[in-house]
Amino acid sequence: MVREKCKHSWKMTNVRDGFIVTERCYHCNKLRVFFSYEEVPPKDEYKEGEHYWNYAGSAQSFKFDMECTKCGKSVSFESLMGLMHCVGCNARCHLNILSQIGEMQNIWLFAALAYHLGNEIDLPIENLEVLTDYFTSRLRTPGKKILVVPGSLRHDPDTCRGEMLKDVGMLSLTPET
Amino acid sequence: MTVKELQSKLKLKPLNDVNDKEIEGAFISDMVSDVMAGAQPGNVWVTVQTHKNIIAAANLVDIPAIIVVRNKQVPEDTLQMADRVGVTVFNTDLDSYSIAIKLYEAGIKPAG
Repeated sequence: MVREKCKHSWKMTNVRDGFIVTERCYHCNKLRVFFSYEEVPPKDEYKEGEHYWNYAGSAQSFKFDMECTKCGKSVSFESLMGLMHCVGCNARCHLNILSQIGEMQNIWLFAALAYHLGNEIDLPIENLEVLTDYFTSRLRTPGKKILVVPGSLRHDPDTCRGEMLKDVGMLSLTPET
Repeated sequence: MTVKELQSKLKLKPLNDVNDKEIEGAFISDMVSDVMAGAQPGNVWVTVQTHKNIIAAANLVDIPAIIVVRNKQVPEDTLQMADRVGVTVFNTDLDSYSIAIKLYEAGIKPAG
């Protein structure tokens, strides 16, 4: 493995607003999530292959890239839908267990939820490290650390009650059609 | 200025434990995504939002205190989470504009 010489100093760039849209297939109950840059989140019903997709909800959020202020390296986070904070809903969940261990040492875990073509994926480790470095480097509270971990640490994404950092119910900014 | 000093200066009503962290600057927004992208660590956050999402965002950005304006009621689970992560939540009758003036008069500058 080749180590990079630059001790990166990340800044958030190319911030763009949009909607996290959730759809559910009423045939097989499968969920899928995507990001929409449209002014109003799409709510159309449509058939795609064997699935019949129905709008199941949306929330305002944003996307961004990271750029190193020293060497100019840029990292895209196109597949990242958001960061999730564990609420401890499942005692067997790895994210819950690790969050509790971290909390005792003032290390706060956030799960990076990423999707590709509607299906959940994990971000590459390098990208998780960029997010960890960025958010931790900004902290002022002594001894505090942010650790961004893969979403696959959740025991069951379908029943997870974790809090994703997104804007729900912003009706004045979310025109209904 | 510390969170405790801010409470006393602006006569804010604390809804949970008041921490003694240093405040630098203020950020006014009702969007969690806006705070994640634009707020600076140490800012006091002024909002009408009361969902516990605001505490997770404040923890991520290292915001020591949140002022909930227009006397919005803050749910108990939001306050429990605030205590867990060490964020003080205040309540005030004032609206965002009025509290912004008071923050400015107290010497708190905008974010950034």
